[in-house]
Amino acid sequence: MVRWPYRPGKFSFFFVLMVAGCVLLSGFALAAGEQAHGQDRSGDLRDLLYRFINFALLLIIIFWVMKKVGIKQLFVSRIEAIRKKLEELNRGKEEAERKYRELEKRLQEFEAKRKEIIEQFKAEGLAEKERILNEAQSRVEQILAQAETTVQQEIEAARDRLEGEVLALATRQAEEIIAREMTKEDQDWLVNDFIERVGKGH
Amino acid sequence: MITSKVSKRYAKALLSLGKEDGKYQQYGEDLRDFSSFYEQNAEFAESVSNPVFSLEDRKRILNFVLGKTRYTETVKNFLNLLLDKNRISAILGIHAYYEKLTDEVANIARAEVITAGPLDENARKRLEKVLEVLTSRRVKMTATEDRALIGGIVVKIGDLVLDGSVKAQLKGLKESLKRGEYR
Repeated sequence: MVRWPYRPGKFSFFFVLMVAGCVLLSGFALAAGEQAHGQDRSGDLRDLLYRFINFALLLIIIFWVMKKVGIKQLFVSRIEAIRKKLEELNRGKEEAERKYRELEKRLQEFEAKRKEIIEQFKAEGLAEKERILNEAQSRVEQILAQAETTVQQEIEAARDRLEGEVLALATRQAEEIIAREMTKEDQDWLVNDFIERVGKGH
Repeated sequence: MITSKVSKRYAKALLSLGKEDGKYQQYGEDLRDFSSFYEQNAEFAESVSNPVFSLEDRKRILNFVLGKTRYTETVKNFLNLLLDKNRISAILGIHAYYEKLTDEVANIARAEVITAGPLDENARKRLEKVLEVLTSRRVKMTATEDRALIGGIVVKIGDLVLDGSVKAQLKGLKESLKRGEYR
């Protein structure tokens, strides 16, 4: 915090002392000038004196006006405002630092979380890969078994078809042979045999 | 032939009349004769059954034909009734069902015999006798020949079928082989 280095009483005293010093130094300089040139410069001195008086009056008026309007208080309040502003800035800085630390902490947490998620995804990916491989293996076995069954069924069907065709051919040939070789005696025998069987059956 | 409900109803009605006066067999013969005539004469059948012609004209034609026959009056009236009711076209079905009903009344079973060759008289009589014993009814046989049987005989009585043909035996043998009974 910045502080004003002087007390208000000392300020007035130094101010008046400075004005008086200036007047004296001007008088000495003027007197010295007159002696050097050896001319009558009393009119100029009087003019200078008036000017000083005029200037002193101006300063007194300014001082008086400043005192009246409370310039001291103005400066004090200004100092106070600056002090408060500095305090606020300090607080803001502390707050910013706190937020910075917080953000840094969150960033670290985020980083840790990110690593955790990546690890988790990796683990899940591996598990999924394992599952897919197992499933594919199972499916392959299933397809192979199904293909085996289909082949067996096809073989069975082909064999049945072939047997059916052989049987149909054999039956047709048997019919042709029997029809060719059938005589009236055979027909009579068949009818008589039928009649006997029906009779016995009853 | 599919016998319709209408044919059955008319056949039953005529049979009930025949059973009352004891002439159902005579009615059956008249019906058989008329249905045979009806079946063989398509023009006659058309002229009496087609409603395009007037009923009077159709009646005149029918009665003209009936006048040449010795059918019983009941059968003549029955045929006129069929014409009036526009059912004369159902005469074949009526006759078929009437025969079935009269067979039941007379305890007759009709057997259809199919043979691969001609059936001699001796065998025919023996078969008739055996079938009468089997059905416990008097059997009337109709015999036909069918070379497709190869050999043997087939008898059909109503829903009963006795198949003694070579064709059927070969078929049975084929089925047995197919089922693997001889492996």
